[in-house]
Amino acid sequence: MKRLIFISISVLLLAACTTQKPLYTWENYETTSYNYLKNSDEKATQELIKTYQKIIEKQKGTRATVPPGIYADYGFLLLQANKTEEGKAMLSKEIALYPESKIFIDRILKILEK
Amino acid sequence: MKRILFLLVVVILFISSCTPSKPIARSEAYKGMYSEKPLTILLMPPINKSTNVEAKEYFHSTLNIPIDNAGFYVIPPILSMEILRKESAYDAELFLNASLNKFGEIFGADLALFTVISKWDKSGLAAKVYVDVEYIFKSTKTNEIVYTRKGTVTYDASVNSGAPGALGVLVNMTASAINTAATKYVDVARACNAYTFKDLPAGKYSPLYGTDGALPAGKKVFKAVLNSKYR
Repeated sequence: MKRLIFISISVLLLAACTTQKPLYTWENYETTSYNYLKNSDEKATQELIKTYQKIIEKQKGTRATVPPGIYADYGFLLLQANKTEEGKAMLSKEIALYPESKIFIDRILKILEK
Repeated sequence: MKRILFLLVVVILFISSCTPSKPIARSEAYKGMYSEKPLTILLMPPINKSTNVEAKEYFHSTLNIPIDNAGFYVIPPILSMEILRKESAYDAELFLNASLNKFGEIFGADLALFTVISKWDKSGLAAKVYVDVEYIFKSTKTNEIVYTRKGTVTYDASVNSGAPGALGVLVNMTASAINTAATKYVDVARACNAYTFKDLPAGKYSPLYGTDGALPAGKKVFKAVLNSKYR
């Protein structure tokens, strides 16, 4: 009986206390993307690019994969910097990892071809 | 005696870990989320009715993380923002009551998320930020609202430096003032999002997908006091 109580208490405690590990980790994405949206200058762009690279290289989330949108937005910044081939490659990676992005990303790739 | 104590602990744990008095199940509160099983979400540029011009960016740069981490696919936020700007759809208010089918076609979005910031006021001395924000997820297929919550948030940006005594108070005051002025309004938006989306049904990439329908939904209209420790 005591054992049962002990177990139920432990379970309850665990359920209440564990903070679940997130699916993805994001480095300082919020701040760097804010700076980019607000200022969109060279410094902000470079910092956001660095953030993307870190997110891609090091994922500590439970899915252990690059989060949605990262390859695509990274690719977009590369395209803006006239790194067309690299940028396109990143967009294709987004589709490969997240097929549901195909409708939108294909549209972007088509615009680029024109 | 021991047993009574144990029982008491169990009861207290139950009460603290469980729900408000009249919880509605998520599957009931957010029917469309469970019947349509959306995966892709387009962030509409936040609608800013507050007096703080930057509130729009604070929210746009913090919205994708909690939604992605809940298991959904957020359409690339920077790229989609750029396209919306080019297509003169930067003012999302125009679409709040319009048909969203086009956004489904162009972006492959199942849902569009509208964010309406109606207040973002700072009080410098108290190091507080007062935010009124409403989140509305609408289906691009049916144009129905599938999830909506509205929050009145008081964000406490004061920093506890841990220094004791009269000097500590002084240190605390300056630390708070700097913290409010210079940094981390991004944290305010993040805390609002995190608090609101606590009851967002899990998306396809979450291990909880399809298992959380019976869990309680939060209040549709809520008040909360948050700080930077809130994740």
